[in-house]
Amino acid sequence: MKLLERILKYQIVTSLCVLTLGAVLFYFSVDYLIDQEVNKELMRSKAKVSWQLRHIDELPVYILQLGDSLQLDQVRYPGQMALVERKLFNEFESEYQPYRQLIFYERVEGTWYRVTISKLLAQRQQLLEAVVMTVTFIVALLLISLLLLNSWLSRRLWRPFYKTLRALDSYEVEKHEVLTFPKQHTVEFEQLNQSVTQFTDRLAATYQNLKEFTGNASHEIQTPLAVILSKIEGLFQDESLKESQLVALSEISEAANRLAKLNQALLLLTKIENRQFLAGTEPISLVPIINRKLRDLEDLIEQREITVKTAIEPTGPVMHPALAEVLVNNLLTNAIRYNINGGTIDITLNAGKLVVRNTGAPIHVDPELMFERFRKEGTHSASLGLGLALAKTICQVNGQSLTYETEGQWHILTVTW
Amino acid sequence: MKLLLIEDEKALATSIQNYFQRENFICEWAADYRTAVEKINIYRYDCVLVDLMLPDGDGLDAVRELKRSFPETGIIIISAKNSLDDRITGLNLGSDDYLTKPFHLSELNARVQAVIRRRTFQGSQQIRFGKIQIDPQEHLVMVDQQEIVLTRKEYDLLVYLIANKNRVLTKESIAEHLWGDDADLMDNFDFIYTHIKNLRKKLMDKGSPDYLKSIYGVGYKFSEQ
Repeated sequence: MKLLERILKYQIVTSLCVLTLGAVLFYFSVDYLIDQEVNKELMRSKAKVSWQLRHIDELPVYILQLGDSLQLDQVRYPGQMALVERKLFNEFESEYQPYRQLIFYERVEGTWYRVTISKLLAQRQQLLEAVVMTVTFIVALLLISLLLLNSWLSRRLWRPFYKTLRALDSYEVEKHEVLTFPKQHTVEFEQLNQSVTQFTDRLAATYQNLKEFTGNASHEIQTPLAVILSKIEGLFQDESLKESQLVALSEISEAANRLAKLNQALLLLTKIENRQFLAGTEPISLVPIINRKLRDLEDLIEQREITVKTAIEPTGPVMHPALAEVLVNNLLTNAIRYNINGGTIDITLNAGKLVVRNTGAPIHVDPELMFERFRKEGTHSASLGLGLALAKTICQVNGQSLTYETEGQWHILTVTW
Repeated sequence: MKLLLIEDEKALATSIQNYFQRENFICEWAADYRTAVEKINIYRYDCVLVDLMLPDGDGLDAVRELKRSFPETGIIIISAKNSLDDRITGLNLGSDDYLTKPFHLSELNARVQAVIRRRTFQGSQQIRFGKIQIDPQEHLVMVDQQEIVLTRKEYDLLVYLIANKNRVLTKESIAEHLWGDDADLMDNFDFIYTHIKNLRKKLMDKGSPDYLKSIYGVGYKFSEQ
């Protein structure tokens, strides 16, 4: 829910409470005022009636307001003046309605009369209706104006906020971007923008440092390795070396070579994780890569008598070509390395999906664990244990998914995009 | 043949120099950018090996300099940087090859010879070794004037062996030359043995002496003795 919508929710609840309370108070105060007015009118009528009775012994018809009634009864003794409320049958409306009656006594020419002035209290009902109507109208008006105000606010006042949000949304650290914004009049937005600018500035600097570090680390480690390997190769040419020394040297050479490969693979992994390979905008076709790779691996496939079946369409994900190359390479070499002699590899490529299936020995752990670095099943000493980790990382940074399933003797690696 | 090695790491430079001296190449060494540019402008070289990261400059500038003064000189970049950008920039500037550190000296040697062959003799030079004669342009191999049909890998292997004649070649360096990064797919080096065996058989069938010696535990040596 948007912040403005949440605020609106509270505003509506509060205004409904306040307006209801207001309406009740309004009703009672108006009711009280009207009550007072009715009493005053009754008293005025009393004065009129008394005057008429004392001075003229005849009462004119129009002496009271319409709807009020006057009743004269002859009594023996006068009583106390009283103000009562009772329901009387109204002949016009044919129903019982509330009346207020003022009862007083007057002596005319030696005879006591009880005078009852009745006043219809129908206004109370009307008043209630009027109050409810008014309040409802105010509520509706308030709601409409709040909604209008909010939509205007979100368009006008919140515009810089949404702009910042969009900029952050599309932010890519690989581009070494520092986000800057025009000056804002709203303090909070200005603070936010400044924080974002500082933050992206630091981020870009850190990213740059990291990139430089990986580059330097590569240089620093590769150079001593190059020295070691070149010295070993020089030594091999020394004819005075004994066979046992040559064998030891050969083992040193193998280990150093392995170290060099490991270093390169780890650096590649770091580079990919640092997103130093930005994907283009167009999908690239994996077909030429797959075909080229299969040609390169032809010897190995033949030697191990592996049957390769392909069903490929010219399609592919949006990806840096170098990464696509590494991905395809790692999936195919994995399918060869862990295959059985005389096994099969199925490669299926169609819209949104690349599936590499190969026969192989069953694995005894959760297939997904095979994506961990240095995870190897069995004793393939030549493997670095980084192939699938690299493939997974490539897919992750590019927004594709890579899954590993087993199905009997089949190992199925699926890339979806 | 005269080479210039631009490399700031002394130990590596010495190894490379020693290796090429045995090949009867003159291999001069420049440890920094300034010396390199001086040498480039004074002497003529058949091939220059350039390291990209130098203490006082960028190796790519040396490549530019060289391309301006002596465009016919062969250039091989040897760099610890395996970044795609540098590789592309280097090759676009006109360098002939790009080799990532660490590399096998035998590999570097084979590449230097290929560059010199291409540059100096416009690729027309025949490779000769004993009774074997190779036409690199046609990929044609003859023993005693009889043609031998080799597979692509066998051909590559033979050229590599001859380029590094009279030297001990490790199995890893052969595997890497033939299969590049896929070399580590081979769990043992039996696979090289198959190719070596086939090549040796094809050569000997046409009357070539057995030039290939197996060095126990290490690799192979191609020599006339």
